[in-house]
Amino acid sequence: MNAIQDLLTLMFFPGGLFVLALGMSYEWIDRKLMARVQNRVGPRWFQPYADIAKLLVKEEVIPADSNRLLFIALPILALAGALTAALYVPLAGFDPLYSFKGDLIVTLYLLSLLTVCTGLAGANTTDRFSLVGATRTLTQLFSYEAPFLLAMLGPAVAARSWQINEIIADADGQWLLIVQPVGFVVALIGLLGKLEIAPFNAPEAETEIVAGALTEYSGRGLALFRLGRHVELVVGLTMVAAFYMGGVSGLPLFVLKTLLLLLILVGIQSLVARLRIDQTVGLWWRWGTLLVLAQWLALVIWEGVQA
Amino acid sequence: MKRHTLLQYAARSLFRRAATQRYPAERTPTPERLRGTLHWTPDGCTGCCLCSKECPANAIEIITIDKTTKQFVARYHADRCIYCGQCVVNCRFSCLTMSPEEWENAALHKQAFTVYYGDAPHVERVLEGFVSQDSASNPST
Amino acid sequence: MDTTVPQRFVVPIGPQHPALKEPGHFEFTVDGEQVTGASVRLGYAHRGIEKATEGRNWVQNLYLLERICGICSHVHATAYCLGVEKLAGVTPPPRAQAIRVLVAELERIHSHLLWLGVAAHEAGFDTLFMYSWRDRETVMDILEALTGNRVNYSANLLGGVKFDLTSELTDKIYKGLELLEERTYQYVDVVTSDATLLQRTRGVGVTTREQAEQLGLVGPTARASGVERDIRVEAPYAAYPDFPVKVVTATAGDLEARFVVRLQELFEAYRLIRAVLEKLPPGELQARMPRKIKPAETVSRVEAPRGELFYFIKSNGTDQPERIKVRTPTLCNLASVCVLAVGSQLADVPMILAGVDPCFSCNDRMVTVYSGDTDHTQWTWKQLRQYGIDYYRR
Repeated sequence: MNAIQDLLTLMFFPGGLFVLALGMSYEWIDRKLMARVQNRVGPRWFQPYADIAKLLVKEEVIPADSNRLLFIALPILALAGALTAALYVPLAGFDPLYSFKGDLIVTLYLLSLLTVCTGLAGANTTDRFSLVGATRTLTQLFSYEAPFLLAMLGPAVAARSWQINEIIADADGQWLLIVQPVGFVVALIGLLGKLEIAPFNAPEAETEIVAGALTEYSGRGLALFRLGRHVELVVGLTMVAAFYMGGVSGLPLFVLKTLLLLLILVGIQSLVARLRIDQTVGLWWRWGTLLVLAQWLALVIWEGVQA
Repeated sequence: MKRHTLLQYAARSLFRRAATQRYPAERTPTPERLRGTLHWTPDGCTGCCLCSKECPANAIEIITIDKTTKQFVARYHADRCIYCGQCVVNCRFSCLTMSPEEWENAALHKQAFTVYYGDAPHVERVLEGFVSQDSASNPST
Repeated sequence: MDTTVPQRFVVPIGPQHPALKEPGHFEFTVDGEQVTGASVRLGYAHRGIEKATEGRNWVQNLYLLERICGICSHVHATAYCLGVEKLAGVTPPPRAQAIRVLVAELERIHSHLLWLGVAAHEAGFDTLFMYSWRDRETVMDILEALTGNRVNYSANLLGGVKFDLTSELTDKIYKGLELLEERTYQYVDVVTSDATLLQRTRGVGVTTREQAEQLGLVGPTARASGVERDIRVEAPYAAYPDFPVKVVTATAGDLEARFVVRLQELFEAYRLIRAVLEKLPPGELQARMPRKIKPAETVSRVEAPRGELFYFIKSNGTDQPERIKVRTPTLCNLASVCVLAVGSQLADVPMILAGVDPCFSCNDRMVTVYSGDTDHTQWTWKQLRQYGIDYYRR
């Protein structure tokens, strides 16, 4: 009925541009906190905006031996995935824009789209750093994705729903991290893996493989990938805060809870060295998956007993 | 002395003043021994040219105006200078000093790097080309 | 794709690579993440310094040689000065020798802290990197106040040193050392207990004592494998006979041991500096040097932060040297990278590389190999230029 209003919602507020701005702001907070921990001054508030603006106006170099269409389409797809995922989560404390039964699964898959696109983008070029980076990106995807998914399903099992709205409503402001601590920790650390930040930044370890899968990207493509990463940071924080920290209704509560999470992320990020890719895989499959599976089983049994 | 774990230290760092600073808005004072731009005064110079002979970068030239009355002009190439301070050590008459304040020496034109020191009329004569450009340190020409 | 022929997948590191701060070229053949072959190619930063020394006088060469290395410039100047003084039969005054030791140890602190930062960065531990480089500023400030420059201190003169200590400077050094000592305890703590860092260092790149001796490793790299090799102890120079050094060694030979050895050497450096400051001999700063030196040749060895630095100096009776040969410690240590890299993970290679504290530009020499079938004629500048143009036109 209201196509123009829908369009505005998608393009500007609270979808589209607003999500991008929010993502860049969180990126700035992340960098600023990191700098303060390291006793540096850190960037000023407009730095992420300036970075993206600079990249957008720069020439994009497309390697001769890569598939042109894929090279251009992958970053667009990655950003589109992240932006679409943002529509289904209670971003900035608003109710999700769209909601349907099973949107949790869709959102989680949309969030993985960025990583898959990054991996494909690396494999699309013949650059050796990109190829090694792509291998690592996809290896890491396989290692954290299952535990992260299980950790996100924990609250869903408790609420007996696959709908993000209903899960949050079911928790009713209770902090699920008290009853599902393992899920919370795994979700938070899974977020680190998803965003490829320390200690899980082996796929883009600059001292080994330059920029990993995105080595050949410049200009617009790189800007879109980075925007996708920024958006995913916000969406990921929102989901963990909404599921495990008693919902995020209202802007102040949203900001407070997500910033608290971000502070924890920065703390982890700044106090660890980079893990090798085999150590990452080992950590996730040996500990992350087993622990979260154990908790998940316990949950299912508990729900079964109650029913 | 209390020792902290890295976590405690990092947490404290959050509230500490940053170790880096916003140059050029903020700047630390330079130590007095800092070797900056070279300065030369004509008083006392005997034209022995020990400064230019042992300069590793040929950055200083002493141009003779009048040998008998010991009048010289120094041409200093700041772009060649490696700021080692050997000339200052060599000069027995303390004609050479290095300024600790002048260390931001970037310029947009190459001319800025060739500096003449000496009495104004003498420098003018050198610039106008009245004096043979051969430096005293190079007596073969 | 033909699968019968095993594909060689080569990952190049350098000459332009974020892991290297200087141009060097390494080629690692990898099978997945496993390194199966390694080769090194040097020479990207060859500057012809040895040849250039033959056209400059003794004093000018001091500053040229000091610029071989930006990190350990003082030891280069010291090695050269000691050699030239030996040739000329000049004994520098004891105060000058003590100040040389003082600056050398300050430089060792700055070099080891720099290395700690670089190694931490290679391991992806950026906070440790930022902290150690911040603390390194303390010693850089001391060096700047003492000598007037942050790098290339030019503290040495032939026959002595340029700068004397004042009581203000002594206080500044004491204060700086106190801060650094406190921080170094924390670094030792972190590198021996931080779980993520230990996963990247413990048991990685293990060099056994036999290997270290066979490969001819020098400096902290060798000492981490239990080889007690330190020129300051074996052949004390400058004021080291008066201020004896305790050699720090470890037995593990892995990267963790190299971290620990370098950090423990910092404590030894703090102790030495305090000893020098307490018992600084009075007297002159410089002995008179002749301008020309009679024909002779000599060898001068000093312990640079990275290991043994070797100078061969030959004079011919003029004010210019006949030949100067420099062998920097990196050259001895670099071969070990290729040996250790084979069989390790690709992710560990930058760490192994950083583990020897490489300094590429110092180490580039030109070697001309004459064989029977090549044309020995010298090329003129014009021919060389034309060769370059033709080479890149292809």
